[in-house]
Amino acid sequence: MRRYVLRRLAVGVLQALGITIAVFFVIRALPADPVSRIVGMNPTPESIAQARRALGLDMSLFQQLLTFLGFHGNGVFTGSLGTSWVSGSTILSEIAITLPTTIQLIVTSFIVALAVAIPIGMATARRPGGKLDKGVFGYGLFAGAQPEFWWGLMFIFVFYFKMGIAPAPLGLLDPELTAPDAVTNFILIDSLIAGDFTAFKSALGHLVLPVLTLSFLLVGPLLKMTQQSMSRVLSSEFILYQQASGLEKKSIGRSTLRAALAPIITLTGILFGFMLSGAVLVESVFSLNGLGQYSVAAVLNLDFPAVQGVILVISVISLFVYLGLDLLLAKIDPRILVK
Amino acid sequence: MQKRKIDPLLLIGLIIIAGSLFLAVFGNSLAPYDPQEPVGDFSMPPSADHWFGTDGSGLDVFSRVLAAPRVDVAIAVTAAIVSAVLGTGIGLYAGYFTGRFSEIVMRISDILQSFPVFILAMVLVTLTGRNVVNLIFVLAFLYTPIFVRLTRSEVLTQRTRTYVEAARATGNSEFQIATRHVLRNSLAPSLVQLSVTVGFGILLTAGLSFVGAGVRPPTPEWGIMIASGAPNIILNEWWTSVFPGIAISITVFGYAAAGNAIERWARK
Amino acid sequence: MTPTEALLSTRNLTVKYPYGDVQNVVIDDLNLDLYPGQIVGLLGESGSGKSSLALALMGLARHPGVVSGEVNFRGQDLLKMDDEELRQIRGNSIGLITQKPRQALDPLVNVGKQISRVYRAHSQASKEEGQIRAVELLRSVGINDAERRVSAYPHELSGGMAQRALISMALSVEPDLLIADEPTSGLDVTIQAQFLDRMWERARDANIAVLIVTQDLGIVANYCDRIVIMEDGKIIEDRTTVEFFANPHTDYGKKLILSSGADAKASNADVAVITSPEILRVTDLRKTFEVDGGKRLQAVSNASFQIHKGRSLGLVGESGSGKTTVGRLILRLADPDSGEVWFKGERIDAISPKEFRKYRSKIQAVFQDPFDSLNPRWPIERVIREPLDLHTQMNKEEKSARVKELVSLVGLTDDILPLRPGSLSAGQQQRVSLARALATEPEFLILDEPTSALPPAARADMIRLLKSLQERLDLCFIFISHDLSTVRELCHDIAVMYLSEIVEMGTSEQVFSAPSHPYTRALLDSVLFHDPNNRRVDRKIKTELEGEIPSPVDLPNGCYLAARCPIAEQRCRDDHQELIQIGPSRSVRCWKSVEASK
Repeated sequence: MRRYVLRRLAVGVLQALGITIAVFFVIRALPADPVSRIVGMNPTPESIAQARRALGLDMSLFQQLLTFLGFHGNGVFTGSLGTSWVSGSTILSEIAITLPTTIQLIVTSFIVALAVAIPIGMATARRPGGKLDKGVFGYGLFAGAQPEFWWGLMFIFVFYFKMGIAPAPLGLLDPELTAPDAVTNFILIDSLIAGDFTAFKSALGHLVLPVLTLSFLLVGPLLKMTQQSMSRVLSSEFILYQQASGLEKKSIGRSTLRAALAPIITLTGILFGFMLSGAVLVESVFSLNGLGQYSVAAVLNLDFPAVQGVILVISVISLFVYLGLDLLLAKIDPRILVK
Repeated sequence: MQKRKIDPLLLIGLIIIAGSLFLAVFGNSLAPYDPQEPVGDFSMPPSADHWFGTDGSGLDVFSRVLAAPRVDVAIAVTAAIVSAVLGTGIGLYAGYFTGRFSEIVMRISDILQSFPVFILAMVLVTLTGRNVVNLIFVLAFLYTPIFVRLTRSEVLTQRTRTYVEAARATGNSEFQIATRHVLRNSLAPSLVQLSVTVGFGILLTAGLSFVGAGVRPPTPEWGIMIASGAPNIILNEWWTSVFPGIAISITVFGYAAAGNAIERWARK
Repeated sequence: MTPTEALLSTRNLTVKYPYGDVQNVVIDDLNLDLYPGQIVGLLGESGSGKSSLALALMGLARHPGVVSGEVNFRGQDLLKMDDEELRQIRGNSIGLITQKPRQALDPLVNVGKQISRVYRAHSQASKEEGQIRAVELLRSVGINDAERRVSAYPHELSGGMAQRALISMALSVEPDLLIADEPTSGLDVTIQAQFLDRMWERARDANIAVLIVTQDLGIVANYCDRIVIMEDGKIIEDRTTVEFFANPHTDYGKKLILSSGADAKASNADVAVITSPEILRVTDLRKTFEVDGGKRLQAVSNASFQIHKGRSLGLVGESGSGKTTVGRLILRLADPDSGEVWFKGERIDAISPKEFRKYRSKIQAVFQDPFDSLNPRWPIERVIREPLDLHTQMNKEEKSARVKELVSLVGLTDDILPLRPGSLSAGQQQRVSLARALATEPEFLILDEPTSALPPAARADMIRLLKSLQERLDLCFIFISHDLSTVRELCHDIAVMYLSEIVEMGTSEQVFSAPSHPYTRALLDSVLFHDPNNRRVDRKIKTELEGEIPSPVDLPNGCYLAARCPIAEQRCRDDHQELIQIGPSRSVRCWKSVEASK
């Protein structure tokens, strides 16, 4: 077990490093000039040269990579992702503010989506061919691929503009409220720490539509998977045999659930990794200022250190999520460790 | 054999796909107005003259919705086909002739697949220049590993089947076995994925322009249109965003439905 | 013979599978009575509903099926009971052994826990007691290191081991009725005989009613008192075994009896000196495979034999004996570690794969799995034409004529040519494979279990076809099989393999009339003849092997059979045995047999 974890970690770290280096070169290999963005209109040759020096672009590519990785002062290996070319603050501090917003959004959406998908999926698996089953199939197919940003807009139009039951889609809190002291940067947690229940309620309210949008899409594939997995287990030989052996209903139910869980967990992991960057669009619709919006700004401003930082952070998080879920899977299914 | 009954899902999918391809070719000519020139008052709600209304710059929304497939659908379909052909070829080779090359291909596609797709697409498109051709290249590049993986794993399964052994015993060369026997039997997953990938390509194209990292306005493109209407939707100017969104929603559903129907058919 | 009162009787038993508004009926209004102490064989083609019936007798149906009607067990209707009453009967009064032992075990729970759960579901035992009982039960079904095996997960068990675990569960509570759904499919013949003997004794001793679902007439003839045949969810024949074999009533029954090789005789009994030229010679062939953990699995070792024109060699053995690998080595589908293969005086194992390709038209093969052997996307015409495209200069018309000729040669008609393999029956598919193999008029064929995957009637047809082709075309072939009676019918010579080695060789007549090696004797003894008047259970002396086949990864030092052999001595465990000639064209790998022959 320990060897399995260590091996997975080692492979993962190498992979994250590979991705980072690949990104580093890809960005620089492509025909775009970040300097012209920074020096503004009508630059003098001196100001361009000075800007290049300031950004470290006058060094050879290899030297730039070594600097980035931390062989000359602070770098990836010493826990620094450099400073932004646009704002001048450290990338890490900027990510520390924006990442929690994204995580909060995604995690809440997954909780909602799983809470809807698993019970419904299990119920329909017991009655194949029924009306609910067909409905689930249609919905799963439809929601599997949809423009989430547009659905977000539609929800805003209906629930905010027409019905007035949702708050304005502008940020994490009502504008008249002051944000609680940033401790974790998760606004729901921070407001609780500060004991500010008005802020908590407002933050929760602002989360409703974005979470609705994301889970509206997430439920599709999760529902489909639950249903498939569940009907596979229900018609499996060993559940039949447990019934034939006169085991108690409760015990058979537990076996069924456990056996059906593995593919759902795997899919959740894949979707989570996808959402880390896929939430960009929803963040931008609701002006949430999360990691996604941060990365859009970084890309459009050609802020290379920020782009590198975001990609590295997302890869590392996905890595840990996959690892965590795989450990969970290995706990459920002893066959995993064989491979 | 059962009696021949057309899968309604396949029918719906094929109709939508045919419609989207038709508009990709003829959409521009069908549009009542020039989709890139202001034709009337700003932000007018739908009327007899402007069925879907006009947007904040006075462009005719209906004409733009019709013209957009030339960008969205064309990009997605071309990119999907390019990546399917490339990916299937590489996947066949890497799956059938396992060895050093196969290993390298798989490691590269591992790394490519663990990139955050949307951000990578943004980076690549922005840095290469935001135009249609670059978008096609970027999408094809991003989607190729999916086909490599799918084909390779199917080839690995097919390789162990007795008909391959029988083909060898009959006197086929390895190349003949790979191309005549295994390839034909390994196409189903790629075919399903092709249809699904077009849908994802449309979503990615529109999504990129929605955040301002795709093709440039005023190109008629669904994502741009939704973005341009987004700020005004809370001012009751819903038509600018609603119609292109419906168009995406239906189109993407069509490709997904066809993919699903093909999958069911292939499983028989 | 209707002894006493029925233990279980069904009235209007029906099983339906609903899908939306459609109802698929698999058991149709069925009445059946089972009596204590009686062993009933349930026969029928696949899809006839026999497996569904086996489950329905416990009030069960595969998800999402629905059972209706009456299932009266000791006078009480199972279908009217509440969950708790029903639960107490299932696994307690009625035991089930299923066809796929490994799938019947929960893959996520270790075996000990699973056995303990079943035991505790029907007793007041604590967790600890359950665990202790699990060890006892595993030991009682012949699993050696039971203490260690209880913590094994199903994927760590062999099929035979999993089957034993299931049996231990089913028998743990002394059921009154045992339902066994094809309990021995996938087991080797010697293991099958072991299992069925135990079950038979158990049923006789404890007066248990047994229902065996099977397709194997041999099992029915040897172990069952009564036969029930199903078709389309209904019973179409229900009589005592002796009556049935003497005079079957239904078409299906007649076909079954006809297809049985009860009168199998060694057709080619000549031991005369063979004068025809040698076609194939194999010397000291050896092949190992690497398995997980860097160990090597010994698949074939020191195989030597030759085949002359017009003769056929039967290669017989159980799974893992290496018989299939020998065929693959000759066909160059795998390369030997050492040894030589000669074809008509030319050495063919050391040439390049490309050079070997020109021999392909001379050496052809038919494989075990009928469907899997054919490219599913190709029409039959193209399948049969392929070797002509690859090896001949024929024009289109000539090829088309040859394809038609081949189709009729294997007893098929032209109308199948445009079809794809999926729409043919298994028997037809296998004939297509045979037609493909014969297309280039090969001088030598390898037939790798071509009849094993076929249903009984198709198997009999295939054997008849091979026999007639053998006479008409003067074929020379190796026939690989685990089925002794088929080999006896088709082959002039026989080589018996056990764990990678040939243990006995001779003409069919020699080996069948006077088997010498203890393994051959056990193998012959475990053949279940299709004759209720010559039952294995009635035989006085049986050569029985004990336990499981050892793993080919860790082979013992001495004779590979020593641990299972009834006549083994210390010398057998110490010395590895050599294949020693004991007569003209006859040799054996057992010092005791050699001494006995002197």
